[in-house]
Amino acid sequence: METILLKNLPDIEAYFACGGYKALKKALGLKPAEIIEELKKSNLRGRGGAGFPAGLKWSFIPPGGQGQKYLVCNADEGEPGTFKDRELMLKNPHALIEGMAIAAYAIGAAHGYIYIRGEFAAETALMNKAIADARAKGFIGRNVLGSGFDFELFTHRGAGAYICGEETALLESLEGFKGQPRLKPPFPALKGLFGSPTVINNVETLAAVPSIIENGGAWYAALGTGKSGGTKLFCVSGPVNRPGVYELPLGTPLRELLEVHCGGMKDGKKLKAVIPGGSSVPVLTAEEALAVNLDYEALAAAGSMLGSGGVIVIDDGQCMVKLLQVLARFYHHESCGQCTPCREGCGWLEKVLDRLEAGGGSAGDIDLLYSVAEGMTGRTICALADAMAMPAMSFIKKFRGEFEAHAAGKVCGN
Amino acid sequence: MPNLTIDGRSVEVPAGTTLLEAAQRLGIYIPRYCYHPKLSVSGSCRMCLVEVEKAPKLVTACSTEAAEGMRVLTASEKVRQARRDVLEYLLINHPLDCPICDQAGECGLQDYYMDYSLRKSRFEAEDKILRQKRRAAGPYLMLDNERCILCTRCVRFCGEVTKTAELEVMERGDRSFIDLKEGRALDNGYSLNIADLCPVGAFTSRDFRFKARAWFLKRTPTICLGCATGCEIEAHHYEGTIYRLVPHPNAETNTWLCDHGRMTYKAVRAGDRLGKALIRKGLIDLEPALRETATRLEEAKGAAAVLGSPWLSVEDNAALARLAKDSVKTANYCFDFSAEQGIKDGILVNKDPAPNTAGTRTVKALYGGLSLEEFTGLLAGGKIKILITEAKAYGLVKAAAEAAGIRLIIFARNRGEAPAAAYAVLPYASYFETEGTFVNYQGLRRMTAAAVEPPQGIKPLWAVVNKLASYSGAELHLDSAPRALKDMDF
Repeated sequence: METILLKNLPDIEAYFACGGYKALKKALGLKPAEIIEELKKSNLRGRGGAGFPAGLKWSFIPPGGQGQKYLVCNADEGEPGTFKDRELMLKNPHALIEGMAIAAYAIGAAHGYIYIRGEFAAETALMNKAIADARAKGFIGRNVLGSGFDFELFTHRGAGAYICGEETALLESLEGFKGQPRLKPPFPALKGLFGSPTVINNVETLAAVPSIIENGGAWYAALGTGKSGGTKLFCVSGPVNRPGVYELPLGTPLRELLEVHCGGMKDGKKLKAVIPGGSSVPVLTAEEALAVNLDYEALAAAGSMLGSGGVIVIDDGQCMVKLLQVLARFYHHESCGQCTPCREGCGWLEKVLDRLEAGGGSAGDIDLLYSVAEGMTGRTICALADAMAMPAMSFIKKFRGEFEAHAAGKVCGN
Repeated sequence: MPNLTIDGRSVEVPAGTTLLEAAQRLGIYIPRYCYHPKLSVSGSCRMCLVEVEKAPKLVTACSTEAAEGMRVLTASEKVRQARRDVLEYLLINHPLDCPICDQAGECGLQDYYMDYSLRKSRFEAEDKILRQKRRAAGPYLMLDNERCILCTRCVRFCGEVTKTAELEVMERGDRSFIDLKEGRALDNGYSLNIADLCPVGAFTSRDFRFKARAWFLKRTPTICLGCATGCEIEAHHYEGTIYRLVPHPNAETNTWLCDHGRMTYKAVRAGDRLGKALIRKGLIDLEPALRETATRLEEAKGAAAVLGSPWLSVEDNAALARLAKDSVKTANYCFDFSAEQGIKDGILVNKDPAPNTAGTRTVKALYGGLSLEEFTGLLAGGKIKILITEAKAYGLVKAAAEAAGIRLIIFARNRGEAPAAAYAVLPYASYFETEGTFVNYQGLRRMTAAAVEPPQGIKPLWAVVNKLASYSGAELHLDSAPRALKDMDF
């Protein structure tokens, strides 16, 4: 299948040669409501992790010309196991810029921001150059392509906090405050950046927009399956022969991704488990993983989530207790500290995992881990606590034997 | 006006009412730490989680607005489990140093633990995160970060009420701690409100520190006399000693109390509190001092003057008016005080430092007398030989009286208040020790209440005046505070 997003077109001339910015011209001839309708038809769902229907999100912005509105691109790619937005920005930056110009026109935003993860220095430089090139050609700036529509686009580098990938924490950070999620409601569609209606979309979501406008929502939807329209980037890490970023239609079997595209397990290793959507989602056993398709509905039915598409492959040489300890250390470090269950719970989980991993735990520690995680679930302002709790509970449920071995004194020592 | 049911009881509330407020209307208390009615909503402590039928998750009652047909449960097993969990999380890194904590007995952690948890902690004590213990955070406050639960009430108070923004949450996650911004101190004039707002023992009062246990304290509602605002307060006392003043929030005047007002109780037990009278700077019992004063008044017949005081109650001013009219039998008296009034800092402190300027008007209305200008002129004119007044009011006429070499009979509670040149200083009961009527800048008439006993032998000013009059041969029949108010028309 031909890829839609993963094309190597870093400069604007190459992008033109492949028909770039045609979709923007087409979009400027449509009414904003028609664009949003097309998006709804496409079944494009948010690619950042939550999978919220993109067309529906855009339609929440109060229509009409009054007042400032903002478009924000979430390029703070921080979810462990996820490295697709970086790839997109490096290889196909103009798809993102064109997608943002179309989105801004559709929602009536005159200003857009790309909030880029702080570590992405080269990506920021490349995006800045791409934006300057697009501005020079009249795709960005005052009176885009003579349509009377103004659109200014800026990049902003984060300062290294995972939490700033949460959309309202991102807004706080963009406004110059400490990155902490906001209490919702009000949702950003009504009160977002600087108190104005705001749409926040992931890089991959926005980069998919030009192809939808060019070829139609129905075309895009048909690429995928059911309510999961289009293609998706999957980031495969772990002991497979060809780890990397793959663009595949939604609905592709996970087995196909691993065995065909990634060339199977490395050095004859045996698959033990897969975390299919970035480190925040529940883990799947090898058996579950090899039976599931990669789309929002199928993964939800299997008790996990498509998430960001960060597919973390775990072989049977890995200790699940150690892996969960690594995750707990990460979430403990990244919790913003506002909500009690997350602030205190993440650190508590890490402490219990530390002693289990070191062989100093007790049998009661396993139930304690589970119940501390359960107490964090669904009780906080944002999803970070759930992102810690979901893997913790699924690890314990599915690999309890390994936890019991550690509670009985086993030490892996890696 | 949405209709909703909370724990099976229906209630109709104005649009925009939160579930926490709606429950309050039904008398249903929802526990909270970060929520405070006078501060912005933070929604972070998660103590107020309640169940809303058909909602996928528990919601924070402090931030969720009531909607038509909502069915809310505030005590379901799910809700109670969430509260137990939040309390357990809050306590895992808490030092549990209640035996040496001033907050004990009025602590949100202790109270809610008893009400909603009683679960044994599953946390290993040696694993606790240690934080900075007590340090001064300004003239009136001590900060102990280890006890803090990061509800951020203090941060929001400084940001939203005093607008001085001294505080900030530093770091992140469970390394978070409240700290002063660089180079700042909590000296905004309202800092002790933070000790009240703090639901735990993180911010405590340096003044109250280690003085008394909260559960021993008795609470007497009374009025602050620190200025013309006249805030409603509670005096907290034990075995005859006041330990602190706290605001009694009310719609008319105050939610908070300023630091200056909070310290006004200090004079009651100050080292220079007068337990006896002074004649020519020498201590003497009240009775002989009154006899001596009566003799001097007799001597000066026709050349005596009486000045009321906006620092005294209506009763005590009325008693001074009676003294002038019916005992000294002079027209040389004045109850004419005026001052610019109104809140000067946008919060509570009044432009008028005297608590009863408005109250003296009623005394003037009944008894008349000279204007303050005429009275000052009279003193300066050299015909007056002796002046009876209260220590702070003396300050208003000091220049004229000094220049004319007038003999001073001064009512004072503390030696430090009285001018060194006073011939006689007569002690009287403080308004923490006796009832008195005061009229604040809004015209609200309020009474002080006796929280503690005055020092042995010390009486209300009206009673001292009554006795002084009888030594001078006049019976004023001032045998109670209400009697002093006879004929007074408010």
